[in-house]
Amino acid sequence: MYRKIGLFALMLILATTVVFAQGTKESDKGETIVLRMGDNIPDRSTGWGAVIERINKDFIEMHPEVKITTESYQDQAWQEKVKIYATANQLPDVMKYWSFSTLLQPLVDGKFVEPLDMDTFKQYGYMAGALEGNVYNGQLYGIPVSADLWVIYVNKALFEKAGVPLPESWEDIVASVPKFKAQGIIPMVTDGKDGWPLCELFDNIQQRISGSFKPVADAIDRKARYTDDNFLHTARYIQNLVKAGVFQPDLVTSDYGASRNLFGQERAAMYMMGSWEMGLATDPNFSTSFRENLDVIKFPVIEGGKGSHDDLLAWFGGNYIVNAKSEHKDLALEYLEYYAKVFPAYAWETQATFPAQKVEARESDTIVAKKLLDIAADAKTTSGTPGLDRSTAAFKETHQDLMRRLMSNIITPEAFVVELDAAAEKAAK
Amino acid sequence: MQLLKKPQNNQKQRWYVGVVFPYRRLFIELWGFLVKNLFSDKKTIALLSLPSIAVITFAILSPLVVSLYFSFMEFSGFGAATFVGMDNYQQLVLHDGTFYRALGNTFLLMLVTICIQNPIAFMIAAILTKLKDATSRFLRTIYFIPATLSLVVVTKLWVSIFNPGYGFLNKLLQGIGFKNIQIAWLSNPDTALGSVIWIMVWQGFGWALLFYYSGLMTVPKELEEAAKVDGANKFQLYTKIIVPYLLPVIQSVVVIDVISSLKQMEMVYLSTEGGPGDLTQFIAVYLYQKAFRYSEYGYGNAISVIFVILAVFLTVFIQRIFSERSAQSKRVDA
Repeated sequence: MYRKIGLFALMLILATTVVFAQGTKESDKGETIVLRMGDNIPDRSTGWGAVIERINKDFIEMHPEVKITTESYQDQAWQEKVKIYATANQLPDVMKYWSFSTLLQPLVDGKFVEPLDMDTFKQYGYMAGALEGNVYNGQLYGIPVSADLWVIYVNKALFEKAGVPLPESWEDIVASVPKFKAQGIIPMVTDGKDGWPLCELFDNIQQRISGSFKPVADAIDRKARYTDDNFLHTARYIQNLVKAGVFQPDLVTSDYGASRNLFGQERAAMYMMGSWEMGLATDPNFSTSFRENLDVIKFPVIEGGKGSHDDLLAWFGGNYIVNAKSEHKDLALEYLEYYAKVFPAYAWETQATFPAQKVEARESDTIVAKKLLDIAADAKTTSGTPGLDRSTAAFKETHQDLMRRLMSNIITPEAFVVELDAAAEKAAK
Repeated sequence: MQLLKKPQNNQKQRWYVGVVFPYRRLFIELWGFLVKNLFSDKKTIALLSLPSIAVITFAILSPLVVSLYFSFMEFSGFGAATFVGMDNYQQLVLHDGTFYRALGNTFLLMLVTICIQNPIAFMIAAILTKLKDATSRFLRTIYFIPATLSLVVVTKLWVSIFNPGYGFLNKLLQGIGFKNIQIAWLSNPDTALGSVIWIMVWQGFGWALLFYYSGLMTVPKELEEAAKVDGANKFQLYTKIIVPYLLPVIQSVVVIDVISSLKQMEMVYLSTEGGPGDLTQFIAVYLYQKAFRYSEYGYGNAISVIFVILAVFLTVFIQRIFSERSAQSKRVDA
């Protein structure tokens, strides 16, 4: 009995020794280098995700010793994951993040982000002002990957079915609501659960009313107040859109995927979202009829408002950074440069997204891609970073929360502007 | 050798009896030796207590102390933390309406589970004990299925049922005559909280039923028969005999209900994230959002400290109530 126990214990010790000895040997030899990556693009088979996988494949061919592992979550979950990883000093080597001060600045201040060489990246055809959005204290900390234009995607077949022309103004949209509903069609969908698209709507409606994007930046810098008439008018206007039934009934609990699917499955006529969704036109997960009927229009005007169709809410949001504490920093920087070099061509080739670098228009481009190029070219003024991302993380969350409350009719426009102004005041201190 | 001699023919006994029984005298001798020589030595006692003290210190006390420390700080999660004294607590207790909303919702959930879910679960369990074995087993399985499902599955299932467009509930209501009904159950301020609480109660019902059914099966038949002989009707049998007998079971279920109400997180997060506005906000979700979304890590820790105090207070309070009840019924019996 005792001999058996002794033998078993000996075997256990030997097995443990072999396992641990083997582990050390592998890492000492450095046979495989694991490059950890992270982003907010869970779908790796189509669109932007497929482009990244292609770049990864190229990079592995160039460096056979490298293995790339990627973590992907939806926007909000990814942002929270990054904060947790940063707290635990476990950030991925290369990751997609956002250039906004609410998100990138705390990481830069915490010395989690590796500074980049501006001259190296300037040669890759970035649009004017794109790289500059990532500059903190005179240093470049990330490369922008997409130019984000705030637009309305439309399903032309559903407009025809309801007998409704494509809208020029929000009044046109409100007037079309009964016709869409009579056909069982939701007029417009967007991601209301996450809140940020509602804040983009707020900034854009404000511009259509006042004729300028500047009041938003001024309110955050405390040169203007959110209680000013233009903001109050905006809040009232948006709440009336909800009351008129423009959006899906479960707007504030409908997340990104749910709202996107409602549009892709041809249950909604319009989808308010950014240009990064241009991949919808080639997404095989949706029907051919949907893809053939997909189009995109400029953000509508407001009758009597001062803003025009060619004032564009646009910014450089999607961004790539390198972990300053990465064990494979040189390799990560090399990957980033390769990404900057090939991304615009790969992304435009598959019409996956609207790159922040110059691209050549082609005959074979989808209608959506061509229209987005036109929308960008027609723009007379652009917004730059949206209001919710110009201040602190707490301001951003409060703004989002207030928008959800406004659009659920549980707060009056008057109370909304007072609370938003208080949040801006607190953030400015 | 005498001590190690194995007994014969013990195949029907449980496996551990087979292991322990042959060496029972050895164990008794060993235990006696330990008590006499080791356990009487204070150093040995301290040494043997060390692992459990270490676990309590590192797994429970240390996080609490760290949490307490950060609750006095203004900290975004990374970078430098600034000492702000009692500011976080002051803001939380004196000015934070959402915190009180979350607290109110938590107490409402407790109330619903204790005062509505539990009595119904008890009644159904009592009925199940009177049914035929096969029927009872079948129904028990049906009632317990929600408790075996993952929280994510349950929540997504109900989010789909409550969907205003394609959801089963609206379709059902339209089918029975409410043609124009299209309620966004989880987004409408009038229905959101009720819908979220319904999901929680639906998922937790199976557990309460299981506890009560198991408890009811342990009530001695003689007790019931004696009560009947003494002229007790069915209502009296349950209120005067069975419920007092099952007080420890009821106490366990209530404590579990209180704790699960306090730590409700996943279900709210996956369904409404506390919205619309803060109407369906619960403490655990609010804590998480403050710490990781608002990047107000210090404030989140202040909520967590209050949360722990509240949980401890409620658990002690419930135990007090039940021990007093138990003492009272013992006095009545005497």
